[in-house]
Amino acid sequence: MIENTVMLLIAVPILFSLLFVALPKSLYKYLAWAFFIIGVALSVNLVLDGTGVVEIGEPNFAMFENIVLILEVLVILFIIAVSAKYKNWPTLALGIISAAIFAYTFTNAPHAEGASFNIDQFSQIMILIVNIVGTAIILFATGYMDEYEEHRHLNRQKTFYFTMSFFLAAMNGLVMADTLGWLFLFWELTTLCSFVLISYNMDEEGINNGFRALALNLVGGIAFSVGIILLATNDIATLSGIGVYAGTDAAAMAVVALPVALLCIGGFAKSAQMPFQSWLLGAMVAPTPVSALLHSSTMVNAGVFLVVKLVPAFAGSSLGTAIAVYGSFTFVMCSALALSQRNAKRVLAYSTIANLGLIIASAGIGTPLAVAAAIMLILFHAISKALLFLCTGEIEHTIGSRDIEDMSGLVKKAPLLTTLAALGMVSMLLPPFGVLLTKWVSMEAASSNPIVIVFLILGSALTTVYYAKWMGTILSSSMDKNAVHHKKPETYFPLSFLGLAIVATSILVFTIYDYFIRPQVEILLNTAPTVSGQAGQFTSEIGAFAYAAIFVALALAFVIYFATRNMFTPRTAGYYMCGENNMEMDKLMFRNGLCSYDKSSVSNIYLQNTFGESKLTTLGYAISIILIIIALAGGVLI
Amino acid sequence: MNMTDILIAALVIFVAPIIGCLYAGIDRKITARLQGRVGPPLLQPYYDVKKLLSKDNMVVNPSQNFYVVVYVAFLILSLLMLVFRADILMIIFVYTVSSIALIVGGMSTGSPYARVGSSREIMAILAYEPILILYALAIYLLTGTFKLSAVVDASTPLLVYTPLIFIAMIVVLNIKLKKSPFDYSTSHHAHQELVKGMLTEYSGPGMAGIEIGHFYEYVFLTGLIFVFWAVNPLIGLIISAAAFFFVTLIDNITARVYWQWMLKLSWSVLLILSIVNIAFLYFSEATIM
Amino acid sequence: MSLAKSPWIIHVNCNSCNGCDIEVVACLTPLYDAERFGVLNIGTPKQADIMVVTGSVNYKNVNVIKNIYNQIPDPKVVLAVGACASTGGIFHNCYNVIGGVDQVIPVDAYVPGCCPRPEAILDGVVAALSILENKKKGNIKGKEVKLKGKEVPSNA
Repeated sequence: MIENTVMLLIAVPILFSLLFVALPKSLYKYLAWAFFIIGVALSVNLVLDGTGVVEIGEPNFAMFENIVLILEVLVILFIIAVSAKYKNWPTLALGIISAAIFAYTFTNAPHAEGASFNIDQFSQIMILIVNIVGTAIILFATGYMDEYEEHRHLNRQKTFYFTMSFFLAAMNGLVMADTLGWLFLFWELTTLCSFVLISYNMDEEGINNGFRALALNLVGGIAFSVGIILLATNDIATLSGIGVYAGTDAAAMAVVALPVALLCIGGFAKSAQMPFQSWLLGAMVAPTPVSALLHSSTMVNAGVFLVVKLVPAFAGSSLGTAIAVYGSFTFVMCSALALSQRNAKRVLAYSTIANLGLIIASAGIGTPLAVAAAIMLILFHAISKALLFLCTGEIEHTIGSRDIEDMSGLVKKAPLLTTLAALGMVSMLLPPFGVLLTKWVSMEAASSNPIVIVFLILGSALTTVYYAKWMGTILSSSMDKNAVHHKKPETYFPLSFLGLAIVATSILVFTIYDYFIRPQVEILLNTAPTVSGQAGQFTSEIGAFAYAAIFVALALAFVIYFATRNMFTPRTAGYYMCGENNMEMDKLMFRNGLCSYDKSSVSNIYLQNTFGESKLTTLGYAISIILIIIALAGGVLI
Repeated sequence: MNMTDILIAALVIFVAPIIGCLYAGIDRKITARLQGRVGPPLLQPYYDVKKLLSKDNMVVNPSQNFYVVVYVAFLILSLLMLVFRADILMIIFVYTVSSIALIVGGMSTGSPYARVGSSREIMAILAYEPILILYALAIYLLTGTFKLSAVVDASTPLLVYTPLIFIAMIVVLNIKLKKSPFDYSTSHHAHQELVKGMLTEYSGPGMAGIEIGHFYEYVFLTGLIFVFWAVNPLIGLIISAAAFFFVTLIDNITARVYWQWMLKLSWSVLLILSIVNIAFLYFSEATIM
Repeated sequence: MSLAKSPWIIHVNCNSCNGCDIEVVACLTPLYDAERFGVLNIGTPKQADIMVVTGSVNYKNVNVIKNIYNQIPDPKVVLAVGACASTGGIFHNCYNVIGGVDQVIPVDAYVPGCCPRPEAILDGVVAALSILENKKKGNIKGKEVKLKGKEVPSNA
């Protein structure tokens, strides 16, 4: 039955994308609910179907192969046409190079007999993320886009929903496809969807940023396709084939090192690692659901997905070490950059890049424990980041700003939204939630590599800082009047659902590990990490993480607070303002020396002069490019 | 979890605040003597807490005391984990929860003084968090595991190989205890410019909770110093007590610095010291097992 | 007993000439060492027990003193230190002066003198302690003092 599920996973989103085009706007809400339910059902069904390889042989293969070829030609033609239309010469040049490579592949590639989809545990996790988180985000969008378009006088929702749904189909294909040629098609399709959605506003900024994303991803795509061509010379045509070929044999690893490094560069570009990070930051001009879906929880995960899948080809080699250093460097650099940002979406963008860097670093370390951490981090990060992005979008609709400083007092205006946003932030940086647990695992796994671990330590401290100040800001009370705020079920259901998912996955972390991650690490590295989970502890050979105890402490804190809350009858008073409060008007106002009223305002510390973009970005480019060159050189020479 | 474990846990929960209270009392006594005063009674911190508990619970934001509960709960948890020799890296993360809870609690009141104090305390995290984790890393490098039990069972004390990290940890102790020169986030002495920093809006029972949390924190932080010589508990105790009183001494002979100054000190001197120490451990492949 | 052992004071300078303030601060110096009795000079009213007011109340600071009084959690006592705080002193009947502190908020103990000696102030604090204890025992709460918008003298 797995064959049917695989086909449905690609066909259903396409069907829905067509439905979105065909049906009027008033029905989108119901469509999105249906899509969400079917998405959940299909992805759970895939997990229940178990793992396996789906071979597509004759006679269907010929038809599918033709479709793939036609689509690839169309993608390239679209890129060339659109970049010519907007006179974006760099993108045009890259499009032409892509076309040339495609033509070369087409004429020289050996004739394939069949293609295959490989459903392993990692694909299952990715399918769950894409179809549950992804459809939840589309559901959120139905409550969000009307207001968004109203502000900007746009009417492009058909394009929007079509592309979003089509993107899910491409992403589903990407995480299941094993044949490199097909994988590449899905890869380019996600790039294309991303371009369409980033330039959604059709203003100059949106189009420029769209082209930047397109160009940088095309660079990655070119590296990817060159890698495929090189691999074809070794008769490797599937993703899993690379791992089988390389095995744990150093000599075989050296043979495929260069193509693997090229594929990894493709992954870095897709995951917006330095020096490609600018496209992800530019992508923040897109509507929030786009940022949440493409640029935090799914599309950028395609890059790290590929890198993790390639682990057997570089685990333990010098290429692996270079990748680990590179990933951890991105982690620390982008965490530092996030510290200096006031714009909430940019903070989240940098945080996304940083966490993807952490995943790549873990993959690069290549020990079973580290790879387990990488896969778990993909899962937990996707849920938390989707929630955070959607919350930011909703906050923006509530207070009309995405500046962190404007968010003070939010807890009084929208308590549920603030609680959910705070939950998302807590889950990004504090135990017992999943992201921190995996950070802990990756730190313990990285402790054998001095440079990587020092980078991780610094990045982790910086992460704590920028989330702590944001969380404190939204949770601060301002005694302002409550903002008028419409709660729509389409927006609040996905938010609450994601919040619950964070808690549930964090509690069930060991079950998830046991069911998905250990078998996957065994597939990749032939050895499972020596991790056990008795008595609510996550125990490896070098440490133990008692997540159950932390949950108990947290629950106890809640119980104690609510039990003692009425023991000491609270009496509300005004702020201490040296007695110069203005009690009638805004409570944060005070009387100044001239007997008029001033509003007190306190801003967080952003350290612009140390960690500002103007100070760090150039340095980041330089070092990351050097590291990539080292990785490439290491791949070829050593 | 058997009976003895539960007994030990109960003992820690009840004895630790007593020790912490005595620490605080001695601290105030020493401070007074250094200034040529008689000073308050040794049990003064206890009287303070008792008084605060009998006062009205005046709040700005009804939920502000929740963060105090989290602060104390996670301090107790991290202390228990320390006593049960758990994973040091996890202990540090759990301890971070309590620090963040106090910061967010301060910010949640919305008072400008509290927010200034909290912002500065967030910067303090930036200063001490890397050092704490490097300290955990040193333990791993020397014992091959992050579990503290290995340090206790080791043949050589940790301090022999980690003198530079020890120095850095003393400064971290100073920052974490919010003692001068790093008392810019909340302080008895800074009320002219900062009122009471991030604790400005806490009163009565809420403030009592924070004070009790401080008692646990004193014990926890000196416990981290104790680990440096855990092979011999007596020497360990002496070292940790000495470190505590050294910090008290520093508190009395220095003036408050800017938080920028602290950040510079931490990221230049302390971090370099720790990394040099770590690098030494990597290259010498020393072990204390 | 618990209250008397740890009186935290907040010192409010209410239009004082600084004479009394110097003497209040002198109480904390090694010579008098008010901390012997657990006295701490605390910055925020939210944590204070004793409000030590120096100087007379005038139209500009009347709301300040009321606000601070309202922000001290019960049980609390007010100690008027110096002639001005007790009666208005040398500024009595001045065009901008309302009078002693007791014109605005309830005062529990007075320390007369211009300015009072530190010993006298400490005596006042110690006298206030028993009042504090009684208030706790009798569960006497300080009434919330109403603010009157922008207060201006009637003859101005």
